[in-house]
Amino acid sequence: MALNAEYIARETFLNLRRNVLMTVASVLTVAVTLVLVGTTLLMRQAVGNATQQWKGGIEFAVWLQPDASEAEAEAVAAELTSSPLVDEVQFVSQQEAFEEFKDLFRGSPDMVAAVNPEVLPPSYRVVPADPDDTEGIDALGQRFHGRPGIYEVTFAKDAADAIISRTGVIQGVVLVAALGLTFSATVLILNTIALAIHARRREIEVMKLVGATNWFIRVPLMLEGMVQGMAGAVVASGGVWALRNWVSSLVENNDFWGQFSVSDGGLTLTVVMVLAMGAGIGTLGSAIAVRRSLNV
Amino acid sequence: MSVGGRSQRFRRQPVRFLHKRAGNDSATGTAHGHIHQSSALRAPLIRLDHVTKTFKGDVVALSDVCADIEKGEFVFLVGPSGSGKSTLLHLVHKEDEPDRGTIHVAGKEIGAMTRWRVPYLRRNIGNVYQDFKLLPNKTVYENVAFALEVIGRPKQVIRTQVPAILDLVGLAEKLHRYPHELSGGEQQRVSVARAFVNRPLILLADEPTGNLDPQTSVGIMRLLDRINRTGTTVVMATHDETIVNSMRRRVIELSGGRVIRDQHRGEYGG
Repeated sequence: MALNAEYIARETFLNLRRNVLMTVASVLTVAVTLVLVGTTLLMRQAVGNATQQWKGGIEFAVWLQPDASEAEAEAVAAELTSSPLVDEVQFVSQQEAFEEFKDLFRGSPDMVAAVNPEVLPPSYRVVPADPDDTEGIDALGQRFHGRPGIYEVTFAKDAADAIISRTGVIQGVVLVAALGLTFSATVLILNTIALAIHARRREIEVMKLVGATNWFIRVPLMLEGMVQGMAGAVVASGGVWALRNWVSSLVENNDFWGQFSVSDGGLTLTVVMVLAMGAGIGTLGSAIAVRRSLNV
Repeated sequence: MSVGGRSQRFRRQPVRFLHKRAGNDSATGTAHGHIHQSSALRAPLIRLDHVTKTFKGDVVALSDVCADIEKGEFVFLVGPSGSGKSTLLHLVHKEDEPDRGTIHVAGKEIGAMTRWRVPYLRRNIGNVYQDFKLLPNKTVYENVAFALEVIGRPKQVIRTQVPAILDLVGLAEKLHRYPHELSGGEQQRVSVARAFVNRPLILLADEPTGNLDPQTSVGIMRLLDRINRTGTTVVMATHDETIVNSMRRRVIELSGGRVIRDQHRGEYGG
């Protein structure tokens, strides 16, 4: 027996209308929860973007002047590769640096347009043999400071320390809040559905008497929870989108924070995850409610 | 034949419906296909085999009850309150499980039935209660239509079946009334219509006249009798001595959960 689509749509909608206040409360809680979840996801991406240069065990980078001579570059390469402290040296050309730059500033086409490969510094990214030998690595890196043709030397440790000290606590707080709120959102949806079941207990009794299948009784109630979760997620998606645009506009001209901007692709991914999580919270809450109070 | 022309119309359908389910069980298939013809192969429609049910460990509701009820029978369950009548009806409807013993309905052992099959069992069993169990915020029509809707019957079927069955029970003029606008007897007719609209094999009635005055009760009994004459087996638990004595049908008397009398064409007190 197929479930009658019209019946299910009507029942789902009627239930939502019957418990307007509870529905609004559930939707808003889901929305706040998912804004926080979305924020956490965005922050993780931002930190990922900001530390992109330091992936794969790279501990420091020697940046050459954009106009450094070939001899100057080769001298640096020779010294790095001959050092016993070094495991691997990766050369990032001006063109590659430009690609990296474009990737980093996907969200800000103005900035990408203002830059061309010739003005960017090529660099040597260094993976040390022993990443725990911080003193040795530090000393090796410092040797290149102030040499002709060298723009600057940057250390992963410094960047990571800065990033983690500025974002770690925020991320932790937001994550804990999101977890707590996910729980309350689920409980609120559970409660709304339990109320709907209570309001319809006579109907449900008759349905059982005349031989309605369990799924026929369950589906409108579970859809109701899912609709609430999705509605909350849609509100949250708007919130996440606005938040990202607002933060981007604040940091786009800041050297340090500018590294953190999140691309449109990253935002889309976050919104999709927020929507999926909304549907998940709603369905889970109603499934628990149906299980506990329906006994079917 | 005392069934009027209108009822004749209803009669065709149960037979066809039963033929459809008969395929995998030749014994019951024969019984169902030819409802007035007795056959040596025929299994009873309801078979209770040494059924025992206790509540909270020591309250005995049914004790070693055996009974066979044939297709098309009309059976009264009598006995004092607490003698196990309602429990017996609940067990046949699989709202509860016996502690010991087996129950067969239409040749199938319902104790072995998986949970998801239970709704399909119940579609073959109509139920009428003392308190009607109508939905107060739905009209007469909607109450009956609801029973078909929630088992997924198509709209066209609902649109033709519901007015027809309400005509049969004599409520053709009151389709759009709400239950609170009806008398007790009329409400019970709605609940009988709801129980019968899906052409069940069996109609279980638990004190259907318990809330009605004697005259109204007679009307309800006429209705149940007519339904019985279409081939539907009726099992009715009752306290009403007058009704049992005037109908002269099979009487199963329970006392303390035991069958103390099972008599054809019986009276209330043996």
